[in-house]
Amino acid sequence: MNASASLSVLSAPLLEMRQVTQTYALRRQSLFGARPSLKVLDHVDLDVRPGEAVGLVGESGSGKTTLTRILTGSERPQSGNVLFDGFDVWSADREKRRHFRRSVQIVLQNPRSSLDPRMRVGTSLLEPLRSLQIDCDHAARVIEVLDQVGLGRNAIERYPHEFSGGQLQRIAIARALMPGPKVLIADEPVSALDVSIQAQVLNLLKDLVRNLGLSLVFIAHDLSVVAYATSRVFVMSSGKIVEVGRPLDLFTKPQAEATRNLVGAVLSVEGGLAGTALD
Amino acid sequence: MMARPALDVRDLVVGNGTLTAVRGVSFTVPAGGRMGLVGESGSGKSMTALALMGLLPMGWNAAGSVLHDGVDLVQQSDRAMSARRGRTLSMVFQDPLSALDPVRRVGHQITSVIRRHTDADRREAERRALELINQMKLPRGEQILRAYPHELSGGQRQRIMIAMALACYPQLIIADEPTTALDVTVQKQVLRLLNGAVKERGCALLMITHDLPVIAAMCDTVAVMYAGRIVEMGPVAEVFRSPRHHYTRGLLDSQPTMDNIALDGSSRLASIPGMVPPLHDLPAGCAFHPRCNAATDTCRMRMPELVGDNAACWNPVAALAELSAP
Amino acid sequence: MSNIGLQHSAPSASTPAKAPRRGTWNMSLVIGIGLTVGFLVIAIVSFFYLPSNPNIPNIRFRLLPAGSPGHLLGTDVLGRDIVSQLMVGARTSILVGAGGATISLLLGTITGLIAAAYGKIADEAISRSADIMLSIPGMVTALVLAATMGPGALTTIFALTAFFTPSFTRVIRSAAMSVLQEDFITAAKLYGRGRVFILARHVLPNIAGVMIVQFTLYFAAGILTEAGLSYLGVGVTRPSISWGLMLNEAQQSVGISSPLAIWPGLAIVFVVLGLNLLGDGLRDVLDPKLKPRAA
Repeated sequence: MNASASLSVLSAPLLEMRQVTQTYALRRQSLFGARPSLKVLDHVDLDVRPGEAVGLVGESGSGKTTLTRILTGSERPQSGNVLFDGFDVWSADREKRRHFRRSVQIVLQNPRSSLDPRMRVGTSLLEPLRSLQIDCDHAARVIEVLDQVGLGRNAIERYPHEFSGGQLQRIAIARALMPGPKVLIADEPVSALDVSIQAQVLNLLKDLVRNLGLSLVFIAHDLSVVAYATSRVFVMSSGKIVEVGRPLDLFTKPQAEATRNLVGAVLSVEGGLAGTALD
Repeated sequence: MMARPALDVRDLVVGNGTLTAVRGVSFTVPAGGRMGLVGESGSGKSMTALALMGLLPMGWNAAGSVLHDGVDLVQQSDRAMSARRGRTLSMVFQDPLSALDPVRRVGHQITSVIRRHTDADRREAERRALELINQMKLPRGEQILRAYPHELSGGQRQRIMIAMALACYPQLIIADEPTTALDVTVQKQVLRLLNGAVKERGCALLMITHDLPVIAAMCDTVAVMYAGRIVEMGPVAEVFRSPRHHYTRGLLDSQPTMDNIALDGSSRLASIPGMVPPLHDLPAGCAFHPRCNAATDTCRMRMPELVGDNAACWNPVAALAELSAP
Repeated sequence: MSNIGLQHSAPSASTPAKAPRRGTWNMSLVIGIGLTVGFLVIAIVSFFYLPSNPNIPNIRFRLLPAGSPGHLLGTDVLGRDIVSQLMVGARTSILVGAGGATISLLLGTITGLIAAAYGKIADEAISRSADIMLSIPGMVTALVLAATMGPGALTTIFALTAFFTPSFTRVIRSAAMSVLQEDFITAAKLYGRGRVFILARHVLPNIAGVMIVQFTLYFAAGILTEAGLSYLGVGVTRPSISWGLMLNEAQQSVGISSPLAIWPGLAIVFVVLGLNLLGDGLRDVLDPKLKPRAA
């Protein structure tokens, strides 16, 4: 274990979910019957420490989407708490909630859809600053952030359709960085990208964590991608966290059945060439 | 005498008048062979597949020759192609939900394929459909045959698609990203079934995907496409173990593997810089040269040709043997 | 989506990169613009110059044939100049057609956006009201309005608004809903943008193309409907002049086969055709899916 990992074990969690349970009411089956409900999250505990990259994996339907919505504060959990910097996000005062909104930012899966096609990239980048009423030299911040994601300032005046998928994902990451967040939540950030571009974006996320001291929550269905980008992985299955561990340990000694399934599902070129991939 | 290949593509060009998506592609899938066509978006791999099936979008046309079952598919009329689809060649699509008719029962869709192309009566077609469903390891086959597509899971639907593709013992199945839309844990089961079914029937397979591990698991030979051309072709083991084209090597290096994970947090994936060039603005010479760190003036000016089982590259990656030689 | 039959092809792989600026100037757009601009010019000219007063009868010159001196297309049964009447009629058509289409567009946009963004109850209330309004035959509405308010251009505009608003509501609602599902809306909500801002800055610009196209199509439908109502005598009446009114008078005085019916009929055909071509042409140009998207 390297120094930064052991350091982060010592520090207190920055963003944390405690015993979060979420149920959705379903459609009534009969006219007078009670509405059946679906437990999407079942007493979930999750935490991210400052500067740490954690992963969240699970099949579709395991509750990842709901967890993301709760973690970003766009959905209120029925029971349990979301804590940021030690305070409860849903019972905090205005000032603290503003602090939370600035500090936790999200990167979504589909870069084409996550930028308004009728807005210039520069305007899109300024949106978080304007909306969150952050005072700083806006123009300088745009250039600084574009530089952090490896894009030039000529992007500012252009529209999203002039960019490729990989560049758009960089712009989406840049927008998330604009308010100077402490936690970046990335929801399947590379699964809509081409293979050769995936590596670029994964490397970028890794660099940001290291250079800016960001915390990262990386959500994906592909264990190998998550394992590359993070140092601690939560495995989810049917609304529960079934296993937490270092990526290498999950691969070599998976405990939970869901983890074993995910590990078994990973195909590799080597395995394919050896003829063992489909065994 | 050698068996006639399942598919022999010569100088296939696909364009719509202003744009050319496929710029002269030639490859052969031997009878019963399994070939992979790998590439990213904009590589022309899906347009190649659609051209082979005679399913090009409006305004797009194919030129060149595609020999299959003794005829040139490019020259076939729409009517002749639709009589052929499902019989001598069939296709498995990425999204089974939109490829299945939502208002007809699954069983009915399978039997209608069988009855269209064979002289089986209804009872016989139903028997074969059930048999196919059982081969696809779908439990409670009778129930599944009576279900509508939306009542099934993604994995189940894709197995139905494979069953339909196999129904008439085609000589060739073209599978376009058959598992991309599926959950990771289901992907492997579906691949295993497809692999088993193809092997058992001696049917040839053309697997089109961006996913290198899938090709490695399923195919004997592979063609790597970039910007509408094949840049490298050969046996999978050879191409993937010692790639000759810098693009192929870049793709292989950008795969997250156990090695990357085992290293500490500072490890970085090798990545190909830049991006796939748009069709209307392809660079001169080798289309990959702006992203290639071995590019020379020759690469910038002259387009390399693919000769035999080699790479279309002026400065191919040195083979491993040469590297390790003293 | 133009390639509906091809949904199966991989989105990652098959975006067959649309040609740059393809169809920016297509044939229907050129013809549509030509006819529409011609129509507007005639209507504007009518304010400054008319060959003669279209409302003053002159029995001496009644039913002159086309090509008569001073009366290019002849005169009607009361000796009024046809060209002048057509020119003033163009003015009425614009007033009524554009007026009806504009008011319905405004109302439809407001109700459509509310239905799309303000929850299930608002949506149900607005959508069901639109259904009910669409189920009342337009002619009944027009007759009731004409009976209560008296016939005239304003009444016709009200009638058109009643016909068109529910259709606009539906179109705007579904267009807005599809924009609201995009991830950039989620992102905007996450950094704290409110509903009004999202509707004004994200949704409206993205459905502007749909709005413009719908406006031109309903402009045309408005002209056609106005002609129909005036023809039936529940629309525009003298001293205002409309093409439908001219058709009505031509039929009353000399029977439908009269050449007098041809001119307003042709005017209606060309203008409606022009606006429809313009709408179709604009649809191709404004559809963001047809825009090139490579850098």
